[in-house]
Amino acid sequence: MAERDFAKKLEKAGFTDVWIGGHRPFAIDDAALYPLFSEEVIDLMRQTVPRDHHDHVATGVIVKAGKPRDASG
Amino acid sequence: MTRDLMYQEEIKESVKQAYSAISAGGGEEVAHRLYDQSELGEVPAGAIVWALGVGNPVRYAFIEGGETILDIGSGGGIDTILAAKRTGSNGKAIGLDILEEMGDRGRRHAVEADVSEWTEFIQGEMEAIPLESGLVDLVISNGVLNLSGRKSRTLAEIFRVLKPGGRLCVADLTVENDLPPEVANDPSAWAG
Repeated sequence: MAERDFAKKLEKAGFTDVWIGGHRPFAIDDAALYPLFSEEVIDLMRQTVPRDHHDHVATGVIVKAGKPRDASG
Repeated sequence: MTRDLMYQEEIKESVKQAYSAISAGGGEEVAHRLYDQSELGEVPAGAIVWALGVGNPVRYAFIEGGETILDIGSGGGIDTILAAKRTGSNGKAIGLDILEEMGDRGRRHAVEADVSEWTEFIQGEMEAIPLESGLVDLVISNGVLNLSGRKSRTLAEIFRVLKPGGRLCVADLTVENDLPPEVANDPSAWAG
C-alpha cells in the first residue's frame, strides 16, 4: 500500500492527526532476512526489480493517528 | 462468493500458512536493526528469535503507565512485552494473533519477562477483533496491517476498539512503485 493510500484509509475510518514518519528504505537484502519470503521470491525480486531499486523496494514507516475525543463509534 | 472475497480469503490463508510454516522469526539480525540493546535486554531470548517486525512502534508510542494496549499480530510477543513493561501492572497489554501457536509463544515469553499478570494473548483476526468497543488506549502493530486483504475493515475495527481520544501507532511497509507482477502475485510476497 502506498503511503498516501494508508493516510486516506485512516482518515476515511475516522482517524485524525495522521502522522507518517521514521522513513527507512527496505531492500531486497532486508527481505531476505525474513523466513516469510521464500528463496524463490527473493530470487524473483532480484531478477525482475530494476537493479537500481534493489536497495529500496519498500519503505519502513511509523504511522500514528488518533481517535477524536468526541467520536462515538 | 464474489471474486474479491475469494481473493481476500486466499490472502488470509496464504498468510496463515506462511506463518504456520516457519520455525523461527528473523532472529537477532532483524531484532538488532529495530531495537536498541536496552530494549532487547527487556525481553527474553525466545521473543528475539521470533522478531518479525519492520520497525519499533513502542519507541514512538510514548506509553504512559496504566494504559490498555492492543498489539495486533503479536507473534512471539516482543512488542507486546515491551508495551507491557511500559504500561506496568496498573495497565494491560493484549496481544492478538491469528495463530494460536503464536499466542502460546507470547504467553511463555511474557512469563519469562515477568509481565504475565497484566498481559494476555488472544487468538483472532484483525478484521474482526474479538474485543469490546472503546476498550483500549493504544493500538500498536509491527509489519502486520499490510498483510490484511481488507485494510479498510481492519482500520475500522481498530477505530472501534479504541477509546475516544485513543491512538494508533504502527510500523509497516509502504510501496510507492508497483512490484513486478511476478512478485506481487506470489503468495510468499503477500505473507512478507
